[in-house]
Amino acid sequence: MAQIPVLRDRCLISFSLLGGLILALTVLALMNMTVRELSDIPHLLRVAADSKVIDSIILTMAAGANAIVILMILGIPLAYVLARTDFRGKRIVETIVDIPLMLPHTVAGILVYILFMKRGLIGGPLYDIGFSFEDAYPGIVVAMLFVSSPYFINSAREGFEKVPVHLENVARTLGASRFSAFLHVVLPLSARYIYNGAIFSWGRAIGEFAAIIMIAYYPMVISTLLYYRFTTGGLKESSTIAFIMIIACFSVFLVLRYLSHFIGRHDDRV
Amino acid sequence: MIEFRHLSLTLGEFALRDVSLTINRGDYYFIIGPSGAGKTVILEAIAGLHFPDKGEVLINGSNTTLIPPEKRRISLVYQDYSLFPHMVVEKNIGFGMKMQKRPRDEIDRRVDELLMQFGISHLRNRYPGTLSGGEQQRVAIARALASDPEILLLDEPFAALDPITREQIIADLLRIHREEHLTIVQVTHAREEILRMANRCAVIIDGVRMQEGPVDSVFETPESTAVARFIGMENILSGVVGAGTSSLASIEIEGMSVIAVSKVSPGKDVSIAFRAADVTLHVGDGHASSAQNRFTATITAVIPLGGPLTQVHLNAGFPIIALVTSRSAEDLALSPGMDVVAAIKASVIRVIENESSR
Repeated sequence: MAQIPVLRDRCLISFSLLGGLILALTVLALMNMTVRELSDIPHLLRVAADSKVIDSIILTMAAGANAIVILMILGIPLAYVLARTDFRGKRIVETIVDIPLMLPHTVAGILVYILFMKRGLIGGPLYDIGFSFEDAYPGIVVAMLFVSSPYFINSAREGFEKVPVHLENVARTLGASRFSAFLHVVLPLSARYIYNGAIFSWGRAIGEFAAIIMIAYYPMVISTLLYYRFTTGGLKESSTIAFIMIIACFSVFLVLRYLSHFIGRHDDRV
Repeated sequence: MIEFRHLSLTLGEFALRDVSLTINRGDYYFIIGPSGAGKTVILEAIAGLHFPDKGEVLINGSNTTLIPPEKRRISLVYQDYSLFPHMVVEKNIGFGMKMQKRPRDEIDRRVDELLMQFGISHLRNRYPGTLSGGEQQRVAIARALASDPEILLLDEPFAALDPITREQIIADLLRIHREEHLTIVQVTHAREEILRMANRCAVIIDGVRMQEGPVDSVFETPESTAVARFIGMENILSGVVGAGTSSLASIEIEGMSVIAVSKVSPGKDVSIAFRAADVTLHVGDGHASSAQNRFTATITAVIPLGGPLTQVHLNAGFPIIALVTSRSAEDLALSPGMDVVAAIKASVIRVIENESSR
């Protein structure tokens, strides 16, 4: 990327000022909260040490990560097929992929609930063999999986589309099966997109509330816990939990952003 | 041997229509034609990367339609080289052998050998993005050869190279073809490469095979005006066959008669084609000449081509383009408006029966 001296470019300066407004809004909100929370440090420490809060944060992040692992196993093959083939009805498949993106989260929650509840189409038979989604960890995972899938699939697909078909063709004439060509050429070259897609969808999964409470109010993910404390304990209690969650998310995503610089970087001047 | 039998293939906007080709073992075969004529698609079809809609591709006599590319032992080198950007040079070259699960020490040995052979040993640990076009091309060819193919497919291999590198790669390819007894199929839209390198060629225009055969025969006896134009015959004129002898035809063009060696029958609509270089210009009368055709013509333009040659445009009742050395143009003081005699031997004029009447 060319380094343009920003201060000498009027267009960039005005763009930065406009763009700064949106950042300013977020920063203002964060600062506002930080100042409030830091004014009562003993309270902050007490909430932070509350094992319910810690458990809930860990549960939320773990369930999100779990959903993303399943999403990668199922979503990567789908993304590749969408990137490399053209078939009748492809537009319909693409729309199905995007549906969770457009639906209100409560609607997504109902869809998931009806399918995975104890009497549901999938939930029913699984409940009979002792596997419950209602008010259980798997319910959280499946709700997160549903709402975050479009982010991952579309990002992976974009990555696959960026890999020139010629590279895959050459790999095949050199003796690689389609799967080997995928494994050795396409996947490494789209690793960044897959990684970024995974981070976005993880973030989306962690942030979910409505879809999750419909199938699994318990165990409480952080949004549920926050909402519960807000309605029972009031603003002071809940805003401190929010603050802790913000700190946790900010640090985790900052680290992941840094790591992304080391993933799938290659010189694509060829 | 590769045989295309009546192959048709549609890819989006583009289509190959009823293409038949025969590429013999050991041929240096060129597929030629203007840009966008479908040449790359033919290479991909040979490699097995496209399913034909109709027709079949035979390799050594057996139908390959259902054989996947990785089982064909045909290597393809694209115009953009398509090196794997995330692998260093030696990994790129060794990729095919790794995919074929050859033993590690065999791969190392073969990679070393190819690096030496192409003079790129010093590049072995570099990533493709840091290489020049010529270096990338060498790596791409070395990679294609490493998996020990029977057939090497090259898509416009010189398109992006400077003249010096181009000469070196041409020498490399001719050596490989000679030493390894490899069948090479090369695509190009540049005529000069064909005469130097190929023994057989096919002309493809708009997805249709116009002509196929030994290079000399395609270049000397084009079967259609499109091929004549593509192989660089500057003069293409249409006329009607008049009375002639059994082996010399007289073709009427704009009221003039042009004599050509041809057995075409009188009354037919034909085109004639001949090279500008086959037209000789004489100033003044009285020069006896063995050429059957002598036309008095007025020079309309004199265009120096930047090298030792000059193109002269003439009007002899019909347009003629002649090619003379710049020196002759100077000695004869050729200039627009000047009258000269244009002489053309009957044997250099190619008579093409019009497509509609064939």
